[in-house]
Amino acid sequence: MRHLTKAAVLVGAAAVVLSACGTAADNDDSDDNADGQQCEAVELEGDPQVALAYDVGGRGDQSFNDAAYAGLERAQTEFGFEGTEGEAASDESEEVREQRLRGFADDGYNVIVGVGFAYSESVDKVAPDYPNVSFAVIDGFDPTEDDVNCNVAYLTYAENEGSFLVGVAAAETTESNTVGFVGGVNNPLIQKFEAGFKAGVEEANPDAEVVTTYIEESDPRGFGDPAGGQAAAEGLINDGADVIFHAAGASGIGVFDAVTSADLWAIGVDSDQYLTASPEQQPHILTSMLKRVDVSTYDFIAAAFDGEPLSGYTEFTLADEGVDYSTSGDFLPADLVTEIDDYKQQIIDGDLEVPAEP
Amino acid sequence: MQVELRGIAKRFPGVIANHDVDLTIRAGAVHALIGENGAGKSTLMKILYGVQGADDGTIVVDGRERHFSSPTDAIEAGIGMVFQHFMLADNLTVLENIVLGAEKMHGIGEKARGRVREISAEFGFDIDPDVRVAELGVAARQRVEILKVLYRGARLIILDEPTAVLVPQEVEVLFANLRELVASGCSVLFISHKLDEVLQIADDITVMRRGTTVGTADPATATRQQLAELMVGAELPSPELSADTVTDTPVLSLRSISLVDDTGRTLLADLDLTIHRGEIVGIAGVEGNGQTELVEVIMGMRRATEGSIVLAEEDITRLSVRKVRERGVGFIPEDRHRHGVVLDFSLWENRILGHQTTAPAVRGPLLSPGGARRDAERIIDAYDVRTPSVHTTARALSGGNQQKFIVGREMSGDPILLLASHPTRGVDVGAQAAIWDHIRRARQEGLGVLLISADLDELIGLSDRLEVILRGHFTAQLDPREVTAQELGTAMTGGAA
Amino acid sequence: MSQLVRRVTQMVTYSIVPTLVAIAAALLATAAIVWISGAPVGGFLEAMLSVPGQRDLVIIVNQASMIALSAFAAAICFRMNIFNIGVEGQYIIGACAGAFFAGSGIVPGPLNILATLVVAMLAGMAWAMIAAVLNVTRGVSEVISAIMLNYVALTLAGYLVKTYGSKSGYTFTTGTIPPSSQPLGFGIFSGAPDVWALSILAVIVAVGYSFLLGWTRFGFDLRTAGESRTAALANGINPKKMVLITMAISGAIAGLVWMPSFFGSTHTFGIPEYFQRGLGFTGLAVALLGRNTSLGIFFGATLFAFLSTQSNRLQSVGVGRDVVEITQGVVVLMVVIAFEISRRVKARREQESVARELGATSEGVRA
Repeated sequence: MRHLTKAAVLVGAAAVVLSACGTAADNDDSDDNADGQQCEAVELEGDPQVALAYDVGGRGDQSFNDAAYAGLERAQTEFGFEGTEGEAASDESEEVREQRLRGFADDGYNVIVGVGFAYSESVDKVAPDYPNVSFAVIDGFDPTEDDVNCNVAYLTYAENEGSFLVGVAAAETTESNTVGFVGGVNNPLIQKFEAGFKAGVEEANPDAEVVTTYIEESDPRGFGDPAGGQAAAEGLINDGADVIFHAAGASGIGVFDAVTSADLWAIGVDSDQYLTASPEQQPHILTSMLKRVDVSTYDFIAAAFDGEPLSGYTEFTLADEGVDYSTSGDFLPADLVTEIDDYKQQIIDGDLEVPAEP
Repeated sequence: MQVELRGIAKRFPGVIANHDVDLTIRAGAVHALIGENGAGKSTLMKILYGVQGADDGTIVVDGRERHFSSPTDAIEAGIGMVFQHFMLADNLTVLENIVLGAEKMHGIGEKARGRVREISAEFGFDIDPDVRVAELGVAARQRVEILKVLYRGARLIILDEPTAVLVPQEVEVLFANLRELVASGCSVLFISHKLDEVLQIADDITVMRRGTTVGTADPATATRQQLAELMVGAELPSPELSADTVTDTPVLSLRSISLVDDTGRTLLADLDLTIHRGEIVGIAGVEGNGQTELVEVIMGMRRATEGSIVLAEEDITRLSVRKVRERGVGFIPEDRHRHGVVLDFSLWENRILGHQTTAPAVRGPLLSPGGARRDAERIIDAYDVRTPSVHTTARALSGGNQQKFIVGREMSGDPILLLASHPTRGVDVGAQAAIWDHIRRARQEGLGVLLISADLDELIGLSDRLEVILRGHFTAQLDPREVTAQELGTAMTGGAA
Repeated sequence: MSQLVRRVTQMVTYSIVPTLVAIAAALLATAAIVWISGAPVGGFLEAMLSVPGQRDLVIIVNQASMIALSAFAAAICFRMNIFNIGVEGQYIIGACAGAFFAGSGIVPGPLNILATLVVAMLAGMAWAMIAAVLNVTRGVSEVISAIMLNYVALTLAGYLVKTYGSKSGYTFTTGTIPPSSQPLGFGIFSGAPDVWALSILAVIVAVGYSFLLGWTRFGFDLRTAGESRTAALANGINPKKMVLITMAISGAIAGLVWMPSFFGSTHTFGIPEYFQRGLGFTGLAVALLGRNTSLGIFFGATLFAFLSTQSNRLQSVGVGRDVVEITQGVVVLMVVIAFEISRRVKARREQESVARELGATSEGVRA
C-alpha cells in the first residue's frame, strides 16, 4: 500500500483530493489465494473461549438473538465455561462492527459467533488477521467467494423446507382458500420463507391463493415494527386471507394482534411462538415454523470443543432438525399432522425438492 | 393606596442607574413620571415592580415598609404593571388571558367570568371576556392588560408609555378609564414622553433626570415649556421649518394607486400623489387607514393592484424592495423591531441591513465589515447613538437609540426619497430635535420626504403639505401653516376640515 | 483591548467553558443511570475515558467527517431558521444516486470521483427541493414533509437497488466502484487502515460554510432572513427565495454525507450492510451542539464519534452500549441549557455596558 505521510496529510488538506491520493488501481493487491483451496481445520490456541456478537436488539429480543443465547447457554452448561457477549448499536457503521469482533479476538476469545447476516462482511474482513480464531456467522454468506477464509463457518438454514410444512398446514386449514404471508424485509433471505410457504400451499391445495406483503423494502426496522406488522396483516385479511404466516421477527406480534381481533389464524416463525404468546393470542397460533438458531449455535461451539471447528457453509435442514414445525396448542388435527409428516419425510428423503426463490 | 419611594438607589457595575429617588404616589391620584430616555425611569419601575432589587432606600406601601424580590411580591402588595409591549396570547380569549397564572383567585369558570364582567363594567372598559384577543384592536388589548392587573387586585397600576400606541381619540377613552380608576381609590403611575397628555391627565408630576428625581410640578400651573426644560435642562426644540425649499422637480409620483387584498377589501383607493425635490409631504390619518400599505406599496413589499409609481422618471411599480432601495429610497419603518433592525445583530451588521448592495457595506458579492464598521461609527457620532461600541447588539440599546441608528442609516448614501413612518416615535426630546434637524438639512439639499406620523405637532411642524388619509382614500389636502392640531384631528376622523 | 484578545476571551467565557461543563454533567448523569441500573460505574467511566487505539482513532476521524458534513447540512438551515429534518432522506438519495453512477463507471478513472460527488449533490438537492417547494408554494411545514420524505427516500432507495442492482448475499447492492476510481486514503498509522480520502470533504465544506455565512452578501441575507423574516422582507430579501436556495445548498451538502465511506470503504451501496443510516439525525444533534459554527460542529462531531466508538468497549465491562445515547442526548440538552445561561449573562453584561455608556455620556455632556 502506498501511504501518505503525516506531513503529506497536512499539506494535502488544502490540495485537491484527487491529485494527492491516487487510486486503488495504482497498486492492485495481487492476492494469489488459489481458487478452490483446501481448508484445514483451524488450530485454536489454548482452550476455546466463546464470544457472541449480537445483532441490533441484543439479548432479550425474544427472537433471533435470544435463540443464539440459548445455544450458548446449553454449551456453557455442557462444557463448563463462561462466554461473553457484545451488542450492536442501531445505525452503526461497518467499521464499528469490525472493531467489536477485533475486540473479542484481541481479548483472547477464539470462538466468535456473529449473530445475523449483517456480520458477513465484517467477519470476512477480520478473519484473515486472526488465523487461529474460529468465526461463525449465523445466516451468513461469503461476500468474497473466490477468496475463502478457512476459519469462518457460515451457518445457514433450509427455511424454505420448514416453511413448506407450515404452508401445507395453512392450505389445509383455510376456509376462504386464501392464505397470507407477511415478510419483515423484502430481501432474499425472507423470500426463501415465502418460496417454501407458497410451494407448500400449492402442493397441498392447488386452489388456494397466497397473498404476500412485505413491511419494508430494505430497512431492517421491518423486523421490529409491530404496528407495521399489524397493518400488513390487516391488509391481507381484507384481501380474504384467513391464515397468515409471518417471517417478520418482532413485527410478528402485530400480525398476531390482527388475527386475534379478526378471529383468524396466524403461523409463527423461528421459535415456537405459541409458548411465548399472550393468553389471548394463543388460541390463534396454528403452528410455528421452527428455525433452530440455538441448535446451530450449540453445534458450532461443540465442534470447537471437539477440536474440529466448523468451516465453510453448513446448512441446517429438516433432516438434522435445524428447521421444523411445532404442534403446541394441538390445533392441527391428527390427519393433518400425518400429512405434514409425510411431506417432511419426502423432503428428507430427497423425493421432494422445495424451491428457495419465489 | 399610597406608595412612597425614599432614597432609592441602584448601581450597576460602573454606572449609577438610580440614586436618591424620592417619589410619593398619593392614593386616588394619577402620578406622571416624566424624563428623557435613559433618565432612569425604567430602572425605577423595575424596582417598584420587583423585577430588580434596590441597593438602597425603602418602598413604603400604606405606611408599611415592603421588600419585593419578585413581581409576585409586588402583585401581592397590590402593585400591577402594564408594559409597553403587550403580553397577551393572541389565540386565547380575554378571559383565558386574564386567568392565566391567576387560576387560584376565582378559578377559570363562571366565577372568574363574572368577576371580569364586574371589573369591566365598573370602570367602563366594555370588554367581552369570551372574545379572542386576536380579534381586538390595540386600545382594547391595552384595556385587557389593565383588566388583568385589576383582576389580580392591584391598587397601584404602573402604565409604561400607554399612549404611544394609541390615536388621539383612543387616548381620550383611556384617560376616561383612568379617571374612573382613581375615582374608585386606585392610584396610577403614568410614564410618558408626551407632555401635553401629562398635563391633561396627571394630578402630580415628578421629573427624572440622570437617574434621580429633579423636581415635581403642579399640572394646574406648569407649562409644557417648563416641564421640558426640567427634563432636558435646555430649551425645548420645535419642529418648525425654516425657508421654503420646495422645487418643481418631482421625485416620486403615484398615479391612481389602488390595492385590494386577497379577501377583496380595498386598502388603497385611487391615490395620486407627487413629492418634489426638497419637499416634505405629511400623511395624516388614524392608524390603520392605509398608511402602512401605502409605504409597503412604494417600497415594493406589496404590489399595487392598479396604478403606477414613478421615481425620478423611472417606473418602479414592479421593482423589488432591493431595486427600489438601490435607486435611492431610504426607509424608516413604523415597527423598528420587526422591520428596522435585526435585534441580535451587532450595530455594524445592522448598518448593512437594507444596504446589502451598496458601498461602503459591501464590496461586490462580499461583505465589507471594515467599511460597515467605520460607517456605523460615523452614524453613532452624527446621531448621538449611545452605545459602547459598534459590536453591541441592537437588542441591548434603548428604543430611542435604535431609532436614531435607523434614521442615521437610512439617511446615509444620499437618498433622493425618504419614507419616514413615525421617525421620532419613542425617542426622547433631545434626540427628536436632532432627527428633525437631520431631516430638515437633507430637505434643503433636495431630499423628498413622505412623512407618516401620529404626532400631529410633528406633522404640522415638519411638513410642507399635508394629505389626510381615511379608509384608503386621500380625503383632504391641508396647509400646515394654517391648520391646527384640533382641525387636523377632526379631518382624520372624517369630520369636515 | 485588541479585537483578537476580545474574541478569544469571549469564546472561552461563552463557548468553551459552558461546553466543558455540559460534557462533564452529561457523563455524570449517565454514570448515575449506570449506577442505578446496578452496573459497574467505574468500569463504565474507565471504558469511556480510556485512550482510543489507533484503529479506533481512525474510525473516530472517519465517522466525525460524515457526522460533520451532515451537521453542516442541518446548520445552514438552522441559520435560516428552517428545520431540515430531511437531511436523513437527502443523504440516502444522494448516496443511492452517487453509488449507481459511480458503479456504472460511465466516467473513467479518478474523474469518476468528482463526477459522482456532483451527482450525489444534485440528487440530495433535488430531494430537498421537494420539501422546499411544497413549503414555499403550498405552505406545507417543511418538517412534516421532510419526515415523510425520509421514509419515502429509504423505501425508494431499497426499491431501486433491488430492481436495478445485483444480489450480494442477502442484500441487493449497486455495482462496485471500478478500482481505478477508488481513492487511496491518508495513512496516519502504519498498523491501522487509512483515514478515508474524502474525509477531507468535511474540511472543505466547513471552510465554504464559514466563508459563505460570514463574508458574503448572500450569507448576510440568509442570516437576516433567519433572524427576522419581517426585517428581511423590508430590506430587500425575499424569504421564500432564501428558503429555496438554503434548502438546495443543504440538500447538496447532505448528498455528500456518505461519500467518504462510499469511496473509502464500502465501494457499493445496499441496505443494511453497505450503508450507514442515521447520520442525518446525528447531524441535527451535532449542529445544535456546535451552535451552527464550523469549530463547534467539528468539536461536536468528534465528540459524538468518540462516544459511539468508545461505547464498543462497554461490552467488556458488562454495560449496555445504548447508555451512550443517553450521554449524547444529555450533552445536547446540557449544552442548550448552558448556552442559554451564558447568552443571558452576555446580554446582561452588554446592557450594563450600554448603561455605563449612557451614564458616561450624560456625565460628559453635563459636566
